[in-house]
Amino acid sequence: MSYLHSEKAGIVSTGVRHVGDVVVRWLPLLIVTGLWELASGWVVVETVLPPPLDVLIIAVDLVVSGQIVGDLLVSLWRIIWGLSLAIGVGVVLGVTMARVDPIEDFFGVFMSLIYPLPKTALVPLAVLWLGSGSGTAILVVFLACLLPIVLNSYNAAESVDQNLVWSAKMMGTSDRDMFRRVVVPAAIPEIITGIRQAVPIAFVALVSAELIAANRGIGYRILSYGQLGIYESMLAVIVVISLAAYVGVRGFERIERRVLVWT
Amino acid sequence: MNEGRVIASNVEKVYRSERTPTTAIEDLSFEVGDGEFFSVVGPSGCGKSTLLYLIAGFLDVTSGMITVNDHAVEGPGTDRGVVFQDYALFPWKTVMGNVTYGLAENGVPKDERRETAQHFIDTMGLDGFEDTYPKELSGGMKQRVGLARTLAYDPKILLMDEPFGALDQPLREALQDNLLDIWRELGKTVVFITHDVEEAVYLSERVLIMTRHPGTRKQVIDIDLDRTQDREAIITSEEFTETKNEVWRSLREETKHTV
Repeated sequence: MSYLHSEKAGIVSTGVRHVGDVVVRWLPLLIVTGLWELASGWVVVETVLPPPLDVLIIAVDLVVSGQIVGDLLVSLWRIIWGLSLAIGVGVVLGVTMARVDPIEDFFGVFMSLIYPLPKTALVPLAVLWLGSGSGTAILVVFLACLLPIVLNSYNAAESVDQNLVWSAKMMGTSDRDMFRRVVVPAAIPEIITGIRQAVPIAFVALVSAELIAANRGIGYRILSYGQLGIYESMLAVIVVISLAAYVGVRGFERIERRVLVWT
Repeated sequence: MNEGRVIASNVEKVYRSERTPTTAIEDLSFEVGDGEFFSVVGPSGCGKSTLLYLIAGFLDVTSGMITVNDHAVEGPGTDRGVVFQDYALFPWKTVMGNVTYGLAENGVPKDERRETAQHFIDTMGLDGFEDTYPKELSGGMKQRVGLARTLAYDPKILLMDEPFGALDQPLREALQDNLLDIWRELGKTVVFITHDVEEAVYLSERVLIMTRHPGTRKQVIDIDLDRTQDREAIITSEEFTETKNEVWRSLREETKHTV
């Protein structure tokens, strides 16, 4: 009986905590929107900073009417490509750098050099090589996402518990299989952390690249609405891409929890 | 013949990784017979674990030699199985996955793998936990998996590195008795590292006492207990107390030397 009571109390208190969590999570957004509403018309003229509700209505309209769906899809397509390439190259590079010294020496310098470089600084040059289409945007996303993925994979593979490697060895795992059987699975949680860090970076890099040079995509739309002075639509597109990024990160976290049942 | 004899002759181990080389083990010789339960005790930092890793082939001797069945140890092999203090289970594999791993690596067919693994899972009292991941298990359960996984691929020699060191007393005793049953039934050679004198005396036929730093052989004490009795009778017997005190005295001398 008392057990039942305490269980019920537990449910209630987690319910209350859940509501509290939701409030805390969305409160900042509410405050920002409130400030935005206040600033619009009071601090800045409405034509330059339209009120949030107007922006939201336009954002919904842009999506529902299909006006920016094409650009959104182009941008997402570029992100998927850039991110996938970065995952493919980054994981292999990071893990091999951690386990093979010459590879570490060879790529280490390269990595240190591109680390502090703002990837968008490459856009003007990349346009000359790849044109102002998807190639440039994908390259920038790829480079921006590569580092967190390489670094996390590297750290993960380097810090694999020696006893795990030894226990595999004593059970007959050859040095050649050690990578696949032990090093990679042991490193997976941290590798996934690196990918999670790369997802929002991909959005930042993409929009920056498209703002500088593109003929399609979300960044291009932001820029062109801005140049035309249609600021409601410009802000609306920013809202749409922010939401897309949010959904992307959340979606990834969901996949992550499913993959990592054992952690 | 598949025997489990271990011979260490004039083993020296020097770690050179740091600027000044440290001698962990110096001029250490001993012999462990086939099917023997042999414990190693010594003050902390005496190189007990290093010794075990040398026998396992994880580390190389600097000079001297370790042989297993007259073959010099040149690396890890499936004739020896290590049970680690921190369990070293694969966290991404279930209990079943961990226990079948060694069998899979040695080409045992799938059905047979599961059957053998199930046998040792049952032996260690882990039935019902086949599909559980290690993170969900208590320390005692994890070490049961550690033992089951090592027994499954049937090494002749068990090398145990303070395997029960992190467990509380009742669990420790339960696992000690489990281990004794297994040892008797399967006739494995056991090299058991511990800092617990009572554990060493209770379990083993002989105890090697190592000196402090650098570790070398101080003394090997024979333990003669009537093992047909139960735990209670053994630990209250005069022989048990006497042997324990003898080991204690020897160890205490060691600690006094350097403090």
